[in-house]
Amino acid sequence: MNQYEGMFLLDNQVVRADYKAAKALVTDMLKKHGAEITCARRWDERRLAYPIQGRLRATYLLTYFKVPGSAIVGIRRDAELDERILRNLLISVEEVPAKELELGLAEGDDYAPPPPPADDAIDREEPLVGALVPEDGESPELEGVAEDVPASLNDIEEV
Amino acid sequence: MGMKIAAKPRAPLVPVGRKRCDDPRIDYKDIAYLAKFMTPQAQLQSRRRTSFCAQCQRQLKQSVKRARFMGLLPFVG
Ligand SMILES: [Zn+2]
Repeated sequence: MNQYEGMFLLDNQVVRADYKAAKALVTDMLKKHGAEITCARRWDERRLAYPIQGRLRATYLLTYFKVPGSAIVGIRRDAELDERILRNLLISVEEVPAKELELGLAEGDDYAPPPPPADDAIDREEPLVGALVPEDGESPELEGVAEDVPASLNDIEEV
Repeated sequence: MGMKIAAKPRAPLVPVGRKRCDDPRIDYKDIAYLAKFMTPQAQLQSRRRTSFCAQCQRQLKQSVKRARFMGLLPFVG
């Protein structure tokens, strides 16, 4: 069993419907692959730096779990196939950082996050360029941005 | 005589006592910290500017790559 950190980007529509179910969507999938969940928590809900699958905002679920290394391929595949999971990043770690363990364990079953803003409905109508302008108003280089986005980082990441 | 080189020492890339090796803060989740080492165009600054050692610069580059993939930092064209 190795220790891993897994970050999962969840569709806000799923989170808004039922956060607990959205969280279980990830933790149950991990358990299905034999993972022992150390902790899992809502890390953040934020505006994305660029639209992902038509979404401008999404919720980050940060997990730590132990699993045999051979299970990682299956976990990735399941996460990538699930359209409710917009992104996943699995990293092998030596140990769970003390602060993360504390924060992760503090999120109990009765935790209810503040509802994300209901802006997803207009995602597809938003022009791409407008969506990429950051909130501070400074305009970044926009040409060719979308083409550079990889389909999966995990294909080229060492675990 | 032969191999004498002008003895003007180069300034060290890692200022002594200012930035340690194995910077534990380098992490794709710490966007505010990563932003310190990026240009206003969201490009990673060179090692000369960041004054990190090669290993930390590599970790920095990997963290920025991860943060971009996860939608935490923008890609640049
Ligand atoms: Zn270093």
